[in-house]
Amino acid sequence: MTGVELRDIGVTLAGRPVLQGVSARLEEPRVGIVGRNGSGKTTLARVIAGLVAPDAGQARIDGADMAADRRAALATVGIIFQNPDHQIIFPTVLEEIAFGLTQQGQRPRAAEAAARAMLDRFGKGHWAPAATHSLSQGQKQLLCLMAVLAMRPRVVVMDEPFSGLDIPTRLQLMRYLDGIAAQVVMITHDPGQLRGFDRILWLEGGRLIADGPPDAVLPRFEAQMREWGGLDDLAHLAG
Amino acid sequence: MISLISPVETWAHRIPAGAKLLALSALTVALFLTDRPAVLAAATLAVIALYLSAGTAFLRQGARHLRMLWPFLLLIALWHGLTGQAQAGIVIALRLLAALALANFVTMTTRLTDMIAVLTWVLSPLRRLGLPTRAVTLAIAMVLRFTPMLVENGQRLALSWRARSPRRPGWRIVVPMAALALDDADHVAEALRARGGILNDIPDGRN
Repeated sequence: MTGVELRDIGVTLAGRPVLQGVSARLEEPRVGIVGRNGSGKTTLARVIAGLVAPDAGQARIDGADMAADRRAALATVGIIFQNPDHQIIFPTVLEEIAFGLTQQGQRPRAAEAAARAMLDRFGKGHWAPAATHSLSQGQKQLLCLMAVLAMRPRVVVMDEPFSGLDIPTRLQLMRYLDGIAAQVVMITHDPGQLRGFDRILWLEGGRLIADGPPDAVLPRFEAQMREWGGLDDLAHLAG
Repeated sequence: MISLISPVETWAHRIPAGAKLLALSALTVALFLTDRPAVLAAATLAVIALYLSAGTAFLRQGARHLRMLWPFLLLIALWHGLTGQAQAGIVIALRLLAALALANFVTMTTRLTDMIAVLTWVLSPLRRLGLPTRAVTLAIAMVLRFTPMLVENGQRLALSWRARSPRRPGWRIVVPMAALALDDADHVAEALRARGGILNDIPDGRN
């Protein structure tokens, strides 16, 4: 059993169904999940990473339940949040990267060496003693990526990782992403960020309404977004 | 503390953190063993010489860190001068200056990670009693990480207030700032959980 396996996932938050009956087996190297704000994309990302246990159904990676077996999750899946300030826990770059490695059971000295090796791989060896607080938004996002990759996960889940970044920074980060061996599951509302992806899931109202290769899903998605853009559905309040 | 470590690599950076902290404790105790102004003045000069041994740029940086001490030292000296105990005032001021300059020297030449490693080692008897100490060291790192972020949140809220009010915000941003801090705490808790949280069977000692 390999890859991300979602079987009939249901999640209810504060009495409101956020995800309903989502099923998919993801084995492709690059999977995009698209949808509007509030479609349940972020919740699905958290379910895949094991941070939210589904109220119904089962979510597994390589046969293991990521929400129940956090130790397996540490070795299997990494997640990058939308806002890097919500992710960076440590005052310096080196500590931030080394933390995940000590969490995986490496001795502090070995973890530090591995963290330096990861920085060198990205040509950022001189970042090691830098204060995380002083980094730019794009640099912070790259740090999050390096911290997650250092743990050698099989799957990297990214929740709108490029929002709020300027175009050159986004292109640079996307180039870094191309070189990653791990399976990438990227959440976004911007089809432009999914070039070269193998498969696209489209969430709407907590349900999977399309699932297939980008050529089949993205043009329909974009057309639908444009059509809805002509309406005024900002008027509706949730709940 | 993050910004306090000197980017200039000195000989003192290479001394183990534990040795430096031990020497700091011993020397600080020694400063309290004498009341003679001449001895304390010599000690202060010795500390300045210590800074100089790392270079003049290092000395200047150290002096900048200690600048905020002057009002306190002045206050102590003035108070004792007014109450007719000028010599006691000089003794206290010199002792304070020497001790804090020494502590600052250790801070400037020791990485946070090494400082935390020493703390972990000092706390190890508690761990043997079954108390989790990893949370303590993690908490220290997180305070250092999030203090600048909290300050920034406050400044952003103040700006947002001033954009819509002619008056200064003052205490009125305290509640939204606290709410924001709680919200941030939720996010960080999630980030911590994404990387395993505080697992108790993880080696946290030294190599």
